[in-house]
Amino acid sequence: MTPGPRSPIAWRSAPLVIFAMALLILGVGVVVSAQFNAAYTQSRVEQSQSFADILAASSAAAVDFDDPAAAQQAADAYRVNKQIRMIGIYDRNGKLIAGYDRSGTAVAPTIERLPPAKSSVIRVQAPISQAGQHIGMVYLTVDRDIQSRRIARFAILLGLFLLAALVVATVGLAQVQLRRANRVLAGRAEALGQANALLEEQIEERAKAEEQLRQSQKMQALGQLTGGLAHDFNNLLTVIQGSADMLCRPELPESKRIRFAQAIVKAATNAASLTSQLLAFARRQPLMPEQIDVDALIDNMQELIQGTVGERIQVVIGARSPSCPVKVDRAQLQSAILNIASNARDAMAGIGVLTIRTETIDRPDGTRMTAIEIVDTGKGMDAETMDRIFEPFFTTKGTGKGTGLGLSQVYGFASQSGGDVEAESEPGKGTRLTLLLPCVEAEVTGAAGPPNSEAIEQPAMTILVVEDNEHVGAFVETLLSELGHQVRLATSGEEALELARDRRFDIVLSDVVMPGMGGLKLAEMLKREQPDLPVVLATGYSQEITDSGSGGRPVILKPYRLATLSEALAAAMNGTKEQR
Amino acid sequence: MLRRLILLIGVAAAVLLHPTAASAEPTDVSVKAAFLPRFVRYVTWPPAAMPHGSDPFVLCVIGSDPFGQLLDQAAGTQSIDGRHIVIRRMNSAAAAGDCQAAFVSTNRLDELSDFGGRPVLTVTDGSAAGPHGIIHFVVVGGRVRFFIDQALAERRHLNISSRLLALALGVRQ
Repeated sequence: MTPGPRSPIAWRSAPLVIFAMALLILGVGVVVSAQFNAAYTQSRVEQSQSFADILAASSAAAVDFDDPAAAQQAADAYRVNKQIRMIGIYDRNGKLIAGYDRSGTAVAPTIERLPPAKSSVIRVQAPISQAGQHIGMVYLTVDRDIQSRRIARFAILLGLFLLAALVVATVGLAQVQLRRANRVLAGRAEALGQANALLEEQIEERAKAEEQLRQSQKMQALGQLTGGLAHDFNNLLTVIQGSADMLCRPELPESKRIRFAQAIVKAATNAASLTSQLLAFARRQPLMPEQIDVDALIDNMQELIQGTVGERIQVVIGARSPSCPVKVDRAQLQSAILNIASNARDAMAGIGVLTIRTETIDRPDGTRMTAIEIVDTGKGMDAETMDRIFEPFFTTKGTGKGTGLGLSQVYGFASQSGGDVEAESEPGKGTRLTLLLPCVEAEVTGAAGPPNSEAIEQPAMTILVVEDNEHVGAFVETLLSELGHQVRLATSGEEALELARDRRFDIVLSDVVMPGMGGLKLAEMLKREQPDLPVVLATGYSQEITDSGSGGRPVILKPYRLATLSEALAAAMNGTKEQR
Repeated sequence: MLRRLILLIGVAAAVLLHPTAASAEPTDVSVKAAFLPRFVRYVTWPPAAMPHGSDPFVLCVIGSDPFGQLLDQAAGTQSIDGRHIVIRRMNSAAAAGDCQAAFVSTNRLDELSDFGGRPVLTVTDGSAAGPHGIIHFVVVGGRVRFFIDQALAERRHLNISSRLLALALGVRQ
């Protein structure tokens, strides 16, 4: 492991610098000590010299008058000074008169025989003179160093050495600690990085798992829905098939014929409603907010809801005030309502009443909301469960019965759409879930009136019908011909364009989704060539129109009733006339 | 007293330790001859009594001269602050008018009083009975020593160095 990213060179040279500093301290100490020592030696030489001078003066007469006893007495006066090792008083001929040597050896008898001074001592000499006459010499040696001073000097050097060693040791130790700390930190950072990577991986896995769960839930719901739809369709087809069979009988009375025809119409209407539900539900995400009339949506969903909760639960579309339009994703809203209904079903164990109410409320913060209340008569929830119902994967249902994502989808959808979800429940007293969605300004005014089975009486027109499906085309042609119009059928956009160029039509009725040129494209082309020619679009699958709009042209949804068709044609004709 | 005792012991020890050296030692007379000029170095005369200019000190021998050539030799090696010492021999103290120092021989001791208050350092040999000069020699333990009469020196306005006084066997205050 590296010692750290920051200035490794400086770090590595640090010990050298520290060592150099320690050496410097030691060196300065030695130099200073040597200087002090030299000064001390000098002062000692001077002191010894003054001893010798004094002795020379005090012993002058003794030397002059050849009195060794007096000279010895003068010399002995210095014995109290323990540092003086040797004193020798010599006469003018260099002969010893008096003196002593502390070590016990004899003092040299003549000056010539004085041994050379050792390095451990200082030897000074002073001439003995009286009245300008040289009469002898005094030699005196003292210890260069006194013991205590030697010890002190050694102690100072030792102290300096210890100090330097301490500095080196302390800084070295600190550096070792720092390196260790760096290593530990680097290790931790790595561990943290690994932990983070692991965490990210887990988050990713979890997101994947959630996505898979949502997908599987959707598939499950889709399965339920398609299963339910197949069942419903089969029922409706049974009615239609049976009625058609009956109508084929030759001698059927008129009253029965009408009843069977009406049964077919009702069954087909129901089937159309189911189909639109299926389309809405199966539409691919992402979120596609669109303006929705909540009441109409719930009306349309009633059968779907009934199918979801089962036959033994009564679905009541309760009292409602005119709700404002909301702008949300249709499929998500439907999914939310179905999820709530599904939860209600489980809470009621299959038997009970599910009431759906809508109202527009003004919240304290000044926003207007459409409230969709879904009330069940189930077993209710305690406060603890209530706190957790919106948590993802929280479920009170048994294993395999629920994903725990239902209400969290409701909550997520409501939050995303700028709304809210409120829950109200008590054990044994049922549950009320309120889905709140913010109101938007209405974009469309004048909802379509109730469908009329009767065709509006119109003057005969020349109509170009564009329809790629042979059966539908033939059927529409028959239908419009029955109404007294002249019909020309084209099976593609291109063909229709050719026909429109050849002759004059009063109106064009075109399918939207066709191979090659689609209805929207055809309408664009025709508008360029014949701006006055009205175009009515018909489609069974509104995706394209939802995506790019119809360009202001009327659109009728398949399957359409005769009345719807004639109304749309009349409106288109009138609109064109008004524009003129 | 103690110092004197130590001196005596020291001298005795020196003699005892060096019996052969003692026999080779100079005679008492030669020692005295050597000492005489040296005394001059330890005495201060009043300025009026000092030799004029660079004149030498005058050391007179009054009466019979026991030293002879020895004294001349001893004086010849000495100098006091650059001045030489000359020896003058005379019979009477009356003639010693310009002497700074005078050795009064034993046969002229009666003339000592003739010096009166004059600043002359008088030296006598103590071996004989009678009056003494300011310094008089004695021989103790075979060594030549001396006594000093400082009271007399003061009367004659002579100042004797304490170094010399320290060396004396005795000092009369």
